[in-house]
Amino acid sequence: MITYELMLLLRTMPKPELHGVLKRIATAIFDKGGVIRKLDNLGHKDMPYKTSSHGVVYNKASYFLYEFTVPPSSIDTLLDEYGRDVDIIRRRIYKKNEENKFKCTLDEELQPPPYRKEVQEMIAKARRLDKPKFSYNNGMDYYPFQK
Amino acid sequence: MNFLVRNSNLRSFIGAGYPIKYIQGICNTSTSSSTTDPDAPDFDMENPFEKEKQQCVLCKHNIEVDYKNVRLLSQFQSPYTGRIYSRNITGLCKRQQQLVEREIKKAQVAALMPTYFKQPSYLKDPQLFDIEKPLRPHRF
Ligand SMILES: [Zn+2]
Repeated sequence: MITYELMLLLRTMPKPELHGVLKRIATAIFDKGGVIRKLDNLGHKDMPYKTSSHGVVYNKASYFLYEFTVPPSSIDTLLDEYGRDVDIIRRRIYKKNEENKFKCTLDEELQPPPYRKEVQEMIAKARRLDKPKFSYNNGMDYYPFQK
Repeated sequence: MNFLVRNSNLRSFIGAGYPIKYIQGICNTSTSSSTTDPDAPDFDMENPFEKEKQQCVLCKHNIEVDYKNVRLLSQFQSPYTGRIYSRNITGLCKRQQQLVEREIKKAQVAALMPTYFKQPSYLKDPQLFDIEKPLRPHRF
């Protein structure tokens, strides 16, 4: 089960109208057989850049965040549906971040180059391209090639 | 009793200038191998002078990077050009830097974060790193 996050930017409108739009967006998710896990209002604020959509330029938007689960195949249809909605300025669907567990490798990265594993591997890889060299201490008492 | 006295003497004798780990190591050996030679040094002990492992800011404080946390992400952005600072300036480990860059880009396309400048309200936020002192020199 993948949880998605829908970042929505809606145009400025009165509350009852906004209520209708949010409901419409939610029903689109329910129609795909999805479940809404969370709905956040991130406030009405200035956008960092102006955006034009459906022929109108917007400088302000109300931000909403839906957290939901739908079958992955219906994500494209959802995006398409929201793209045709005139009340939506911008919409992005991201996968929800999972808690990632990893160890900090900063200490190894700060080592001088010859001590770094990455560099050592790179040097070993380059050495493999070297031409084979004749070694003299191989038991033969003569040089088998032309000098 | 005698043994205890000797042990404390040893501690005071070695005294300052050595890391505590080292002194403990010496004292431990005298307790463990007391059957043979109490003063024999333990050559198998770990390096007492080894430095503590460095960690980047985000790993140290165990901070989850998220695209909705614009205030945190904007600290890795240049106030002049909006450019994402690279690893030699931010001092993050490889994985964290990757995550930060990915989340900043996600925030920028979702219109949460500006691309060509830093949000003016965050301009006076404390600096996580010194821009003028990169870990490695760069061409800018
Ligand atoms: Zn790290």
